[in-house]
Amino acid sequence: MNESGTYLYAVTRGISPDRVDGIVGLGGDRVRLVEHQGLAAVVGTVDLAEFGDDALPKNLEDLAWLERVARAHDAVIQQLADRAVTAPLRLATIVFDDAGVRERLETWHDGLVLALDRVEGRREWSVKAYSEPVQESQEGSTRSDSTESGTSYLKRRRAETAHREDAAQTAARVADEVHTRLASFVVASRRLPPQDHRLTGHEGTMTLNGAYLVDEARGDELQSVVANLAADFPGARLEVNGPWPPYSFATLETE
Amino acid sequence: MSHSSPEVLRTGVQSPHEQIALVDLLDRLLGAGVVLAGDITISIAGIDLVEVKLHALIMSVREDMAGGRR
Repeated sequence: MNESGTYLYAVTRGISPDRVDGIVGLGGDRVRLVEHQGLAAVVGTVDLAEFGDDALPKNLEDLAWLERVARAHDAVIQQLADRAVTAPLRLATIVFDDAGVRERLETWHDGLVLALDRVEGRREWSVKAYSEPVQESQEGSTRSDSTESGTSYLKRRRAETAHREDAAQTAARVADEVHTRLASFVVASRRLPPQDHRLTGHEGTMTLNGAYLVDEARGDELQSVVANLAADFPGARLEVNGPWPPYSFATLETE
Repeated sequence: MSHSSPEVLRTGVQSPHEQIALVDLLDRLLGAGVVLAGDITISIAGIDLVEVKLHALIMSVREDMAGGRR
């Protein structure tokens, strides 16, 4: 007998159950609301053979499974965010039944209300900054010919190292400045860890991976601010993405 | 190497919903969002997420590059 569990996608409020009609979750089932004390969890039914204690750890390490689930989870979030205020949950929050959902809504009620208040009418934007790869000197970093003295070689190598370190420090300061100026303009901001180029394929070093919470009507303004920053800091490459659901800002205040 | 206009990449597709890069999605869905303790007692933090992400995304990046999507 296949046991099923309840997979939670997000928390919302103030909508009637038919508002989520047509949103399809993992496994191709329609999502539904579980309501409690003025809040509503958007949930779907999943098979515990796939999402239970035994299977979940293995599946989370299966690359294709992880991507499929993340995309299906995100599709629900994005569709919901078009229709209602949305506090997205992390991947793979699963309870045994709807009673468990109501229990969570009760326990976390006040924190969830605060999270929803924080993100209502707002969207997340991502702004990343990259520094250009540092050019090695024309002569080549380690080659030396017989006419170059040892002293001269060492001086040249030290100068190149200093140049690289200066460039890195400058790039970090630029990233801080870009973030500070964006943070002063937006509702809330977070710096996420820079991403490794092996994960993204990007060139140069990612010096800023910023997430910014912006009023829905001010998305164009944010893009203008970033364009001005790009003009002010020509050595940095800035990348803007959005508007997205507010993943990074719907956090519960924990004690 | 200077350009007359500021170089800002506005990446994103013209569909109603952004196709978010998998690395950005996993950063957020595995690292952020509301955290409610589920009944399924796997702690996401107990899995080495960096390892998971690294493998998943290297594969994804390779596919993207092969398909010319970058």
